[in-house]
Amino acid sequence: MRDIGSRRLAWSLGAGVLAFLYAPLLVMAVFSFNDSPYTGLPFNGLTLHWYVVLLQHEQILASIGNSVYVAVGVTLLGMLFGLPAAVALDRYAFPGKEAFRRIVLLPVALPGVITGVSLLLFYMVLGLKLSLNTIILGQGTGLMCITVTEVFARLQQVGRSQEEAARNLGATEVEVFGRVLLPNIRSALLGAALITFSISFDEIAVTYLLTGRSNTLPMTLWSLLRRSVTPEINAVATLVIVVSILLVVAGVRTSRGRATGSS
Amino acid sequence: MSIAARASFADRHGLLLWLAPPLAWFAVFMLLPYGLLFYYSLGSVDYMTFKPGFSAANLVRVFTGAPYLAVLLKSIKLGLITAVGATLVGFPLAFCLAFHATGRALRSAVYFLVIIPWWASYLVKAYAWKTILGSSGIINSGLMSLGLIDTPLRLLLYNQFSVALTLIYIFTPFAILSIYAQLERIPTNVIEAAKNLGATDAEVFRRIVLPLSLPGVVAGAVITFSLSFGDFVAPTLVGGPDAVMISNIVVNLLGVAFDWPMAAAIGVVVIGFALTLISIAQHLEARAAVRF
Repeated sequence: MRDIGSRRLAWSLGAGVLAFLYAPLLVMAVFSFNDSPYTGLPFNGLTLHWYVVLLQHEQILASIGNSVYVAVGVTLLGMLFGLPAAVALDRYAFPGKEAFRRIVLLPVALPGVITGVSLLLFYMVLGLKLSLNTIILGQGTGLMCITVTEVFARLQQVGRSQEEAARNLGATEVEVFGRVLLPNIRSALLGAALITFSISFDEIAVTYLLTGRSNTLPMTLWSLLRRSVTPEINAVATLVIVVSILLVVAGVRTSRGRATGSS
Repeated sequence: MSIAARASFADRHGLLLWLAPPLAWFAVFMLLPYGLLFYYSLGSVDYMTFKPGFSAANLVRVFTGAPYLAVLLKSIKLGLITAVGATLVGFPLAFCLAFHATGRALRSAVYFLVIIPWWASYLVKAYAWKTILGSSGIINSGLMSLGLIDTPLRLLLYNQFSVALTLIYIFTPFAILSIYAQLERIPTNVIEAAKNLGATDAEVFRRIVLPLSLPGVVAGAVITFSLSFGDFVAPTLVGGPDAVMISNIVVNLLGVAFDWPMAAAIGVVVIGFALTLISIAQHLEARAAVRF
């Protein structure tokens, strides 16, 4: 038996925490349907007006496309540079390994604003014009540690015996990577990609400093929010939550399918 | 050993292949910019143009100049409040998930319920509290329509309380996931053994669950602390003049005052602080680590 203590007490505390987590989200969702230009009581009745306003809001729609572009770029950078970093950290010993690990992990502990400021200086000195691509470079640096840590953890679980066996049987390095290593870490890589994508889609601090003329969705919402409080923000928020629920379900489905498929 | 020796040439070759791309990336996009940051922090600014120099005055000013040290300490304080708050709020649910969610279906359902607010837009979550706590927000308009108050309560929003509440709310899922990952690994037979030997539930909790949960608690606290310490959205959205944090100061120095060297100096100090934090975290995690 794994139960410890009163089941009822544990669950009433747990339910309290869930209520705390969901109350604000529900408030947003409910008021996205409120027939009133203000977010607040009284509740005047149901309307889809704010969703219609949203679908005609060109600035918001354009920024969704920008956000997807940036998030895809950042996720690809994580794969291209984070995966090799994880392999190097797990499979090899080299001088300066501890320092390398710290550099890779530093952006976790460092406020995004500082990452943003140092890169902004760097771009300024190089004379690079700010654009969606400069955002990708900045977020890519800040979020690479997600892929590194996820893949590193999986590599440690998997162990090296399969690779050594493959090598002893005459497999080339490329074959070892493609037919042993990659299949073993595929679900970790997928998980890292999903997390990186969602954090990038939501990122504000680095983006705020490195953004050029075209904005990502959080930046557009941010500028709208600072000017006024309008219910179409509630509508966007609700839609973002619905989409993230769908993504979470899809992500867990795929990684679970992989896990049962491989065992 | 012989295999290792035979593979040593391939090893070195392989290492270079794996290490070179990320090393090059971090050198160009991290070390170089940080070096530049340090260089700028030693200079000064004259009529909005940068003047190179070799003076530690800006770095000293971070610790002695009027707003900087106080704001740095306030950010650390709010980070600590958030870390402790998120741990206290998150622990019960992580505990339920690990010990009382019997059955696969219930467990994955509750897990989903934790992941969803974690994924929900950060900005939206901060904004939600603004609409709840504001003077025309849910709490105030509710209390006023009930006739309990005549004028909206002002102490709910635009202060350190609302910033701390919002940060705790946003980062609690991080704490839950981190604590749960550790609690889940506690073997059932350890608990059963303790119970068979006559331990009460309270003793099992205090002497087994709590000590074994520490690595997860520490890891979660480190993440929530570092994310909230440098946050700049919550202070801007729900904080007032009293709740300005270090990232807001940096943004203001750049955007309003054009004082690059001062912003760079704060950046250098914060980088040093973050490196110290990583070392402390590694030390704590190594001390709390348990093997099952």
